[in-house]
Amino acid sequence: MPATDTVASSIDVLERRSRRDARDERLFRWLLKGCALLVLAALLGAAGATLWGGRSAFSTFGWHFLVSTAWDPGNDVYGALVPVYGTVATSLIALLIAVPVSFGIALYLSEVAPAWLRTPVASAIELLAGIPSIIYGMWGLFIFAPFFANHIKPWLTNNLGDQPDDGKLSWVAQHVPFVGKLFGSSYPFGASILVAGIVLAIMIIPFISSVMREVFQTVPTRLKESAYALGSSTWEVSWDIVLPYTRSAVIGGIFLGLGRALGETMAVTFVLGNAMTLSASLLDPGTSIASTIANQFSEASGLQKSSLMALAFLLFVVTFFVLLIARLMLRQLAKKEGS
Amino acid sequence: MTDSALAMNPAQVAATSAVAPKLTVRDLHFYYNGFHALKGINMDIPEKKVTSIIGPSGCGKSTLLRIFNRIYAIYPKLEARGEVTLDGENVLDPGYSMNRLRGKVGMVFQKPVPFPMTIFENVAYGIRHHEKLSKADMTIRVEQALRSAALWDEVKDKLKQNALGLSGGQQQRLCIARAIALKPEVLLLDEPTSALDPIATSRIEQLVEELKSQFTIVIVTHNMQQAARCSDLTAFMYMGELIEFDGTEKIFTKPGKKQTEDYITGRFG
Amino acid sequence: MSAIYLRRRITNWLAMGLSMLATLIGLAFLAWILWETLRQGIGALNLKLFTRITANGADGGLANAMVGSLIINFIGIAIATPIGVLAGTWLAEYANRTKLGETIRFLNDILLSAPSIVMGLFVYTIIVLPSTALTHGSTTFSGFAGGVALALIALPVIVRTTDEMLRLVPSTLREAALSLGVPQWKLTLQILIRAARSGIITGVLLALARISGETAPLLFTAFGNNYMAVNPIDKMSSLPQIIYQYANDPGDDLHAMAWAGAFVVTMFVLLLSLASRLVLSRTKVSHD
Repeated sequence: MPATDTVASSIDVLERRSRRDARDERLFRWLLKGCALLVLAALLGAAGATLWGGRSAFSTFGWHFLVSTAWDPGNDVYGALVPVYGTVATSLIALLIAVPVSFGIALYLSEVAPAWLRTPVASAIELLAGIPSIIYGMWGLFIFAPFFANHIKPWLTNNLGDQPDDGKLSWVAQHVPFVGKLFGSSYPFGASILVAGIVLAIMIIPFISSVMREVFQTVPTRLKESAYALGSSTWEVSWDIVLPYTRSAVIGGIFLGLGRALGETMAVTFVLGNAMTLSASLLDPGTSIASTIANQFSEASGLQKSSLMALAFLLFVVTFFVLLIARLMLRQLAKKEGS
Repeated sequence: MTDSALAMNPAQVAATSAVAPKLTVRDLHFYYNGFHALKGINMDIPEKKVTSIIGPSGCGKSTLLRIFNRIYAIYPKLEARGEVTLDGENVLDPGYSMNRLRGKVGMVFQKPVPFPMTIFENVAYGIRHHEKLSKADMTIRVEQALRSAALWDEVKDKLKQNALGLSGGQQQRLCIARAIALKPEVLLLDEPTSALDPIATSRIEQLVEELKSQFTIVIVTHNMQQAARCSDLTAFMYMGELIEFDGTEKIFTKPGKKQTEDYITGRFG
Repeated sequence: MSAIYLRRRITNWLAMGLSMLATLIGLAFLAWILWETLRQGIGALNLKLFTRITANGADGGLANAMVGSLIINFIGIAIATPIGVLAGTWLAEYANRTKLGETIRFLNDILLSAPSIVMGLFVYTIIVLPSTALTHGSTTFSGFAGGVALALIALPVIVRTTDEMLRLVPSTLREAALSLGVPQWKLTLQILIRAARSGIITGVLLALARISGETAPLLFTAFGNNYMAVNPIDKMSSLPQIIYQYANDPGDDLHAMAWAGAFVVTMFVLLLSLASRLVLSRTKVSHD
């Protein structure tokens, strides 16, 4: 039995150690929390910095900035409409192409493909997601845009557009509204809104398809089995059971792809043609917010620089909300799974 | 309520009064998210004996064990009311230092959980937090602990290897070594063999028998034979209440309560 | 009856056929892009690329861009890794299921896909502009600013993987350590992060892969430099930035060099993602 004073002193040591532990624990917590708050700071900072940088553009042009097609460094007049239109148009074209293709890939990989093929194909598609966007841009500029100009564009302008080479309007151009305008172009090169949309589509297909595949795999097997037991075909199970069950997450995945497409710089800058003019034709060159900034920011100053910052602010806010919706939609499925 | 009061019957007092109680539980209630999980538990756990707690799953036996070292407190929204005293001091008192409590009360869990480090480090890790030992002293201490846990002969040549490479039974004995390396007074075993095969299980049971001379052992088990084989006292719990607590032989041969008898004879649970 | 069956079977065949076609299209574009990068890139590879600098133009190489890329990526990862791991740890271990924790986890997912060019402008505002003002223009764009911009892009990747990997660590491991009296911060640093180590390394590798190809955030931060620069406060060139510059140039020689650069970047990124997969597949074995 130890003497009482050693017991007392050992308790004293314990007390001191407990106090030290408590202090270290508090410091550690604060350090961790501080790091986590940096995530918040990055988002707020990005929004704040671009808003602050764009303040003189906003105060000079006001709401007019949003609807003006002007972009005239000579007279120092700027408007956001042309790049905004380019951003929205290329992203929508990308979605139009990427959503059905991604759905097909996800369907094939989760319901159709033989088991031994699923993992290698899925990995290959995900590989596509890892390729830097500038590679897509280069491929678009040097390979796809010339290919498009030589093989696809002539067919589109002659059969759908209102400016065919031989001057004879096709039936579609004459009778279906808007189509003639959308595909009419006298611009000789491939770089255009449409090509940028296609390159973007290829870039976001792996994102959307892997989200879709993941959410399709969350559908409980018993649900699918009970449908198969009624004699449903694979397609019927997919369309009637899997898709409704995962609908919100599928939409979330699509919005995630949209968020990527809106903010993408390098994949589109090379293939947009960088024309600061508004054209109805998808085959004409255009610009997007990100590519306008990439092309002009280093040489810009004064009001032009501020206008570019203002564009960046618009882009940031819009993608923020698109991604917000995407995450909220995706979370609904996670909740369903958890319950 | 009346059940727990009745649980302190004269036979039980006779069984436990032979040795001074190490742990006493007085009117202990436990709540999580508003659910009343333990309802007024009273028991005296004698020193250097093996006490087992049995009962159907969800009866609160693991919950009770997890209050003894306040491990429950790492999760939010859990609340224990009442008293658990260790050598006369209430360990539920926030003033009772966690370092002191965890140094005195060791715990081993259902599944073996070796830390992702070497076998030697697994045992030394806990000691380092409580004592500053020289390298030589540490080596001796680790060897002692591994010997006491009947693991030394199997691992003495591979102390530098990762503990994840041991078999399940060896991992569990490593966890026991890790707990007794701190020289605790009480050892809590929470279904320590439920993840092990029969051979590994019997080695652990043998070990419990050996460790009894040094530690006060409380073991929660879903396996009645195990309780019968290796404990001196057995407590039967049902729906958050302590139904009966007595000498193991008495519980298994002449249970005082109908519910205990029903459970022992396999009529429910 | 049989008419219904027939129609259903045809619909099914069609749908299955289309889904296969979609997969083939996806794979075909992957093959096309990789094939062109390999063909054009390998064709343009030569020793000069690694020994000479971009100041020599068509007769030069990409040595300064490669060195710059390594330095900027290193700065980015060196900043993002400790912050990201600690922030992810906070989310998983301290703020799981709290309101602030959930909010930050949610916002981190948004930051993950935020437009990288805006991150570049943010860093331009907080680093390039102040350093220009403070040094009266002697230090403007810098490799350091580029590294910070890349760190902002790597950060959410690391936060997320750390968070996810730590949440996979069984809670019994926490209980076991706490039952020995080990304080939570020690448990976190010495046991949990170690248990999740390979997962966290995977996250860092993925983040590195992600930033290695980033171009947009570097344009207004590291800017570019035709000479060899190793001091982080100097303007610095990087492979993606040179690819961008050369691809936009009318000269065919420079295009070839851009392809060579693209080849190097792509191989680097693909090897990194391969490595991260290998590390992760090893984790699953050790986590029973």
